[in-house]
Order: sequence, then C-alpha cells, then structure tokens
Amino acid sequence: MYLGIDTGASATKAVIVDRRGEIASQAIVPSGVNFKVSSEMAAKKALDAVRLDLEDMLYVVSTGYGKALVNSTSKSSEIACISRGVYRLIPSARTIIDVGGQDSKAIRISKDGKVLNFVMNDKCAAGTGRFLEIMSNTLQRPIEELSMLHFKAKKPVKMSSTCTVFAESEVVSQMSQGIKIEDVIAGLHEAIAERIYTMASRIGFEQDVAFTGGVSKNKGFVDALRKKICLSPVLPEEPQIVCAFGAALLAMKKHKEKP
Amino acid sequence: MKLNSRKKKRSRVLQTTRKIGELIVNYFSKAWDVKTQDKPVAWITVFTPVELLYALDVYPIAPEHFGALCSARGTILDYLKEAEKEGYSQDLCSYSRCCLGYALSGLNGPMPAPDMLVTFRNACDVYVKWWQSLHIHLGTPMFIGEAPYVLTYDDLNNYVLDYVVKQLEQLIELTQNKFGVKLDMEKLVNAVNLSDKASELWLQTLKLRRVRPCPLGGRDSASDIFPLVVMQGTEEAVEFYDELLAEVRDRVKRKEGVIEKEEFRLMFDGIWLWHAFDIIKYFEDKGAVFVHEPYSEAWAFRLDSSKPLESIARKVLSMGLNTDIDLRMEKFADTIEDYHIDGAILFSNRSCKSWSAPQLVTAETLNNQLNIPYLMFEGDMADPRQYSEAQVKGRIDAFMEMLSES
Ligand code: SF4
Repeated sequence: MYLGIDTGASATKAVIVDRRGEIASQAIVPSGVNFKVSSEMAAKKALDAVRLDLEDMLYVVSTGYGKALVNSTSKSSEIACISRGVYRLIPSARTIIDVGGQDSKAIRISKDGKVLNFVMNDKCAAGTGRFLEIMSNTLQRPIEELSMLHFKAKKPVKMSSTCTVFAESEVVSQMSQGIKIEDVIAGLHEAIAERIYTMASRIGFEQDVAFTGGVSKNKGFVDALRKKICLSPVLPEEPQIVCAFGAALLAMKKHKEKP
Repeated sequence: MKLNSRKKKRSRVLQTTRKIGELIVNYFSKAWDVKTQDKPVAWITVFTPVELLYALDVYPIAPEHFGALCSARGTILDYLKEAEKEGYSQDLCSYSRCCLGYALSGLNGPMPAPDMLVTFRNACDVYVKWWQSLHIHLGTPMFIGEAPYVLTYDDLNNYVLDYVVKQLEQLIELTQNKFGVKLDMEKLVNAVNLSDKASELWLQTLKLRRVRPCPLGGRDSASDIFPLVVMQGTEEAVEFYDELLAEVRDRVKRKEGVIEKEEFRLMFDGIWLWHAFDIIKYFEDKGAVFVHEPYSEAWAFRLDSSKPLESIARKVLSMGLNTDIDLRMEKFADTIEDYHIDGAILFSNRSCKSWSAPQLVTAETLNNQLNIPYLMFEGDMADPRQYSEAQVKGRIDAFMEMLSES
C-alpha cells in the first residue's frame, strides 16, 4: 500500500492506494497551525480505516504547503500530484483548474498525463478559498449555505475589486444598502471566477477541463466559473483529495522505480 | 519507510568573482576620497555616460547599485521605511525608495552626498521623478536628459541620435560652468576605450557559457556585472574582466562546470532577487544552471573612441529597456539555440514595470514559437517584504519536476 499526504493551507488530506492504484482509504482533517500534527492525524485516520500502520506503507509522498514538515519517503510538488491524480481519474482532461485554500492553479497536461505548463495565483488571497472563507465570516453564514444561496440570485452584484480587503468593505456596504444576500454571494463567486479565468487564460483552456481542489466542492463557485469559461467542466467525485491521491500514485510509481 | 534526504550538489563560484567584494569597498572609499579632496561627486542612474563625467573630473556613483547592495546585505528595510514614512508608496521601485530613504535619513553611509544629480530617462520613467524628488530633498543641482524610445535601428543614427548628442554637450557645458572644470579630451578617449575594452571582455566571457558544462553560473554573473555597472571607463574594470575571462577559459579547457552534473540549462529573465540570492543555488542543487540572462548582457556596449560623443549617445539610447521589444526579440530564438536552453525563469518584478511588462511577449514567444517551458513568478528585486519564499520555491519544485519529466 502507498500513502499520499497533501498538507493544504486549510485542510490536510491523506489517501492510501492499493497496489493497483485504487483508493483504499482517505481522510481529511483541518490543517491548523502545525502541519506535522495535522499530517499525522490525517495519516492515522486513513490508516485506521484500513487497519494498517505507517510501517505497512511501502512508500509515502508528501506534498502541499507543509510538505517539508511531513515524515515521508519523498516530497513532490502539488502540480505533479494534482496532474497525476487527474490523469488517473479523468484521462480525457487536458486542463486542470485547482482552487484550494490559499492557492489557485491552472495546469495543462498532455494526453499521456505530462505537465506541459502551469500558472499559479500570486501571493494574495483573491481567487482562492481564503477569499470565500473571509466573506463567509463577514456575512456570518457558513460556506455551504453560500454555495446554495448562489442559485437563488436574480441580479448578481458586480464587485469592483477582488482585493479581499476592499471586497469585504464592499460587501458590508452592499448589505447595508439592502441588496439581497444571494445577489451579493453570486457576485462574489463571479468575482473569483473572473480572477481565476484571467489567470488560467495565460495557458489557455483545452478540453476537457477538470476542476479540483476544496473550493470545487462549492457548487455556486463551480457554476460561476463554468459560465465564465463557457465550457462544461468535469469534476472528480471528491475534488478535494485529488492532490493527495496523486501523491499516493506517485508513491507507487517511485516505489516501483526504486533500484 | 526511510527518510530520504536529497544530498545537496556541490557548485562552484569562480575565484575572480570572489574579488567583487573588495572592488565594491574600494569603489565607495574612492568616492569619499574624492569628496574629502573637495572634488564633485555625481549621483547617476546606471545608464548615464560615466565616461564623460570622468573626463570632467566628476566621480559618479549609482544609487541603484547601492539599493541592490543594501538588499543583499539585509540593511535595506530601514531606508525603505524611512521613505515610506515620508509618503513614498510601496508601489514605487524599491531602488528609488531605498535611495530616497537614505537621503532623508541624513546620508549616513557609504554614498557621500551628491554635488550633482545626473540621469537620462532611458530605463524607466521612475528616474525622472526620483531625481526630481532628490533635488527637492537635497537641493542639489540636477540634469535630466531625455532618451527617446528606440523603435528602429535608424534611430541610432538619425536625428534621435543628434538629439542625445546635443544633450551630452549641454551636460558638459553645465558641469564646466558649475564646477569650473574643463573637459579633458584625452581622458575622455581613454575612458571610452576602457569601457569598450571591459565590454568586449565581458561579452567574450558570456559567450563561453554556450559550452557544456557551463563554466559561469548565475551566482557569478550576478556579481561579475558590478564593474560594468558602476566602474565603466576604469582600468580596474578592465583588469577584472581580463582575469575573469582567463579563469573561465581555463574552466572550459578543463571541462569544469558550475555544478558537477549539469542536467538543465536555464535562462533567467529579470533583475536578480538580491535579498533572496540563494534561489540561484536552489536551482543548482536541482542540477540546473543559469547559462544566459539578458540582464547580464545589458551592461556591455561597444564604443568607438574616434567618435566619443556619438558613441556614448548611442549607448544611452540603446540600453535594453529603451529599445522596442520587437527589436529585442529578433535574436531571441538564436540565443535560445546557441546557449542550448532547456527552460526559462521569468521573474516578474513588482518594482520594475519596464522590465516586467514586456515579459508577456517573451512568455508568448517561448510558449508558442520556441516550445521552451517557462516559469513566471512574482516578487521584488530589493524589497524582501514583497516576496514569498515558500511559494516561489514550491513553484520552482513543480517546474523542475516538469522539466525532468519532459
Ligand atoms: S529597477 Fe526598473 S523601475 Fe527601478 S530604477 Fe531600474 S529600471 Fe527603473
């Protein structure tokens, strides 16, 4: 068995695959402030589910923000892991849009799954899950609720800024003007979709387009991005664990290649 | 399960490169000598005709270089904050903020106060406003020359050139009147010859980087440009490049590269990140060596001492950032081929819009015409607050994995 651990900015994911690369078990825990602890927790949870110990893992690959802090056989970039995960789940995908807690990425892959090019958002939180988290705090509604309210919107507002700080005060002022919450939410989703679209345009969209990352669980956001790129995306069943799954597949590959 | 610690690869910096530190110390102490002898010191921007100033017995120093130095030595923040306190925005070029902060905090450091401020608006518009601000804060007389943007090579011979020559004449006249000095023609010819010689030697050295394994890496080139940046027209610069060329030739002969096992040959586009210089080593540890940078080449200009003023004017005009991007891209494909480049790193610099904006053209060309993978990341050359190390290194990891797979 092989283990992949993805230490994301907001959640840490662990996936175990069997020797055929099929998912045997998976776990998601909040990252907190200590990646070492969260990665151990995630690994334990995934291992417990199949009643195995860390020693039973032939190879462990870690990836994500805290990868350096994780006890693993080797480390890999998120780009490599996401691509591998997607290639296995959706072989027809040529473009991947991954939106995570603190990063968004667009990746182009070849028909044999190789990374051809990629771009990532720069530094600020606009266009990432963090932006939505902050807005959900401002609006005092959980993200899941925002996701559903999105579909009730009749006239989504136009946000004039995707800067998280500016957008926050804009949202407050819109709410005080009596604008409907669903219109504000749809406006926010459109704003980050726009931002991601602009970034991904640098490498272009080739079909099929796959969406991955935790934020792709947000149906409202997916709807906004789908409309923006005018293409229907393909979504894996569990978009949030694709990167950890890819890491586990890489662990399998690396183990087989080992001299 | 075993923990895998990837062993760091050994990489070598040239012996000659190690002499740069001493040259820098001498360069600043000379400025103070000049100052104590009551001779004029000019603050200049880096593409200003230093040869003319030497011939007028004015000692030029470049605050841009000072900014890079402060950033590399970790002392820049105090100056940046001083300028920001005065109201200069963090969006301004960090070299200018550093210099203004230095001026505002009493000029206590290696750069003596200027007796004259000289710039030509060629690399960027920032120069003009920066120099005007210095003039306001320090009350020092200034000369701002205009260098029209070069759209065709004809501009280097037609009225555009004449226009710059005229301004050089004005600069001479102004300096003569201000300090009661006289332009020494012999000194001018000598300085022009020395500049030309240093450039020639540097260009020859850079050409040797086409060889596999590459004998001179990014950590060398980033330092080795120093004499051309601020000491053009001096004997010391020529001596330095002579020695450097000899050492590099020797490496080539011995087939000795920067790193033991050269796996990837990369181009770096942009100004180096002075505060995060270790990223060059980060690449080298992954088996990648920088073999070409437009930035390193930018400092070399061939000059003709039989027509000193025209020649200097051409240099002021044709500096890289003042030439149309299409002209700059003409030889790009050849460069990629000649240097056997496998990938490119484009550093999008928040400070320098002049450099970053045309990178979109470079990226397009790499991607669509040359099929060379590239990585673009954002940061600032001198302000460490505008840079996220973990994020950039994460990207480098991904890029290198991509290169090794392809
Ligand atoms: S770094 Fe760019 S903006 Fe700053 S002075 Fe140099 S050319 Fe101008």
